[in-house]
Amino acid sequence: MKNLYLGVDIGSVSINIVAIDEANKLQFKLYTRNSGNPIELVKKGLSKFEDEIEIQNYQISGVGVTGSGRQLIAYVLGADTVKNEITAHARASTYYHPDAGTIFEIGGQDSKLIIVEDGIAVDFAMNTVCAAGTGSFLDHQAERLGVPIEEFGGLALEADRDVRIAGRCTVFAESDMISKQQYGFTKPEIIKGLSKALVRNYMNNLVRNRVLEGRYIFQGGVAANVGIKAAFEDEIDAEVTVPEHHDVMGAIGIAMLAKRDVKRSGKASSFRGFDLTEQQFETKSFECGDCANNCEVIKVIADGKVIAVTGDRCGKWEASLIGDSVVSSETDSRKEESSADKISKKKNKDPEEIEVDLYKVDPEEEKQVMKELEELEDQEELEESDKDEKEDNVLV
Amino acid sequence: MKNRKIGIPRALLYYYYFPFWLKLLTELNLEPVISDSTSRELLDKGVKKSLSEICVPIKVMIGHLINLDQKEVDYIFLPRFRSIRKGVVLCPKFLGLPDMVKHSLPGLNTELISDQIDSKNDNIADYSNHQKLAAVLDIPKKEMKKALKKAAEFWQRYRKLLYKGYLIDDFAKIEDIEALENLISKFETDNNFPQSKRKKIKTAGKEEVVDIALIGYVYNVFDQYINMDIINKLKEMGVRVHTFSMVAEEIIEKELSSLRKPMFWEFTNKLYGAAEHYFKNDKIDGVIHLTAFGCGPDSMLGQILEVDAKENNKAFMTLRIDEQTGESHIITRIEAFIDLLRLKKEKN
Repeated sequence: MKNLYLGVDIGSVSINIVAIDEANKLQFKLYTRNSGNPIELVKKGLSKFEDEIEIQNYQISGVGVTGSGRQLIAYVLGADTVKNEITAHARASTYYHPDAGTIFEIGGQDSKLIIVEDGIAVDFAMNTVCAAGTGSFLDHQAERLGVPIEEFGGLALEADRDVRIAGRCTVFAESDMISKQQYGFTKPEIIKGLSKALVRNYMNNLVRNRVLEGRYIFQGGVAANVGIKAAFEDEIDAEVTVPEHHDVMGAIGIAMLAKRDVKRSGKASSFRGFDLTEQQFETKSFECGDCANNCEVIKVIADGKVIAVTGDRCGKWEASLIGDSVVSSETDSRKEESSADKISKKKNKDPEEIEVDLYKVDPEEEKQVMKELEELEDQEELEESDKDEKEDNVLV
Repeated sequence: MKNRKIGIPRALLYYYYFPFWLKLLTELNLEPVISDSTSRELLDKGVKKSLSEICVPIKVMIGHLINLDQKEVDYIFLPRFRSIRKGVVLCPKFLGLPDMVKHSLPGLNTELISDQIDSKNDNIADYSNHQKLAAVLDIPKKEMKKALKKAAEFWQRYRKLLYKGYLIDDFAKIEDIEALENLISKFETDNNFPQSKRKKIKTAGKEEVVDIALIGYVYNVFDQYINMDIINKLKEMGVRVHTFSMVAEEIIEKELSSLRKPMFWEFTNKLYGAAEHYFKNDKIDGVIHLTAFGCGPDSMLGQILEVDAKENNKAFMTLRIDEQTGESHIITRIEAFIDLLRLKKEKN
């Protein structure tokens, strides 16, 4: 039986599922549009996966979930690794392109820049308050111009000249585009102008004063757009590489990370199995009124059984689930620990008790403290030498 | 005679001076009443009553004042911090705070006591900084001076512990002066290590422990609601957290002396000094600048830190907080930042 590792990327615009083997070779790849029901789409994706490969020859040894919708789907799948998309993207591109220096990633609702040195990510930036210049804006404009999004980029290449379009904000960009249309500029010219504006926006918001080094990798859903790729090449005056699986790099990265984590921990995967495609999932939410925070608490229910509770700041609803022994085995052990921690902290309303418990939560930690006490002396020595150093610095 | 109740908002410099104020009021036989911890409800009320353009920490402050007003206290103590360093003032919003409050909250029932704090250094215990308090509450000068001295001594003890590496978080939840005194004595006498100096920290999957300096103003770094509990999130991810309040004054002053001239605002200077100290320290893996959206002084500081981080080859990230940010963007960013530091560490 061969091991397969599943990677799932729940983005705002697309949902991607991949499976890699021990040698990181892609065995299955699925890119679907997120039409608003991620659980159903993941279930469908898994069924398709089950149909396409000869499942009896394989076993799922690890599952990783990333993307903005990672939390919910992680509960549904029983994921081993739940991580942010920046780390996942960096992992995949540095694997395929160890010589990468700069990674541009533009997805549905966010854009990222990752700086790589010697194969590891050393710096990153992510768009802050504004979604200007991301995939969903392009989608919207393609629709408005009546051009299928797949042809959108190609059209830009047909234009000999471009028009200047404001790149700072999509509201201005759109009004600019409409007025340029009224002046009689052609669609390709406007699209080319838009592509340039988008890249300008990216440079101003994410790159800022960073120095970019080659090789340049461009990935994410928008990397399929040859117009944007050309605009990037124009802007940095160098060749930009679009990886073969640019649209599912996040999913590949998280599958690799899941593989690593499972190997490291030596535990079996907590994947809930392909049976979950038959299960009925629903989410319920309610507003907890126990304190002034009024958190919106979300319950994830599989076939009538609550498998996860989330959204509470204090962790007490999350913890309520842990008490239920039937489901506790299915929840992430890390969660259990932290929730249990929180319960013990919550119990200590009396300040005197807090005092005692602040740094000695359990006997194991007590032991640790004793060990550290022994190390006290050399620690102090270190600090003293540290101080000397500081003085030196000042003198210089 | 029943003790008079003096309300103190749990906002802005509360996190810096609360042991001083608690001790001072108790010594004067007054009953300090602290507003509740920041919550969604409290912030919502503050936002409604504030100027829309103002930064979140001020909106939080307004919320806390509304909260205190409902607690039926006799007075609210809201000093006007003008300066705590020679020739340097605080952010203009601090200078105008009592006036701003009067106009934002015309319906406030409780009388404010707003002494102007003009101090050469962090020690604000001078009698001149507390004249109004003495006058309104009819406290003899001698008694006031005695209480101020005791409060200052108590505050210094607390600060020494911070310099030893304790987080303000370790103390800030305690409102009862006796409990606080006990805790401080306990930390002083036992040889326990604060989290910032512990060698072994549990991490998921035996990952490397990383050291992160979280640079930001006390009211952003230690208000668990407004920063989405970032300190505990970092700790859970296996991070030793360091903050500017752990860096001794002498070190900050030394770092500052390398500037051609200090910046115009206090606390910005302190953050700068602490950040420079952390930049040069090999034990620190990365620096996070936590800033409130629209913070004026931080627009300067942030740029300087960005440049200096690069010069010192230190990983650096800016985290912006605002009134309506979801948790996921903070988690995504700190997680990615920690992953990046871990990769770097594991490679070496």
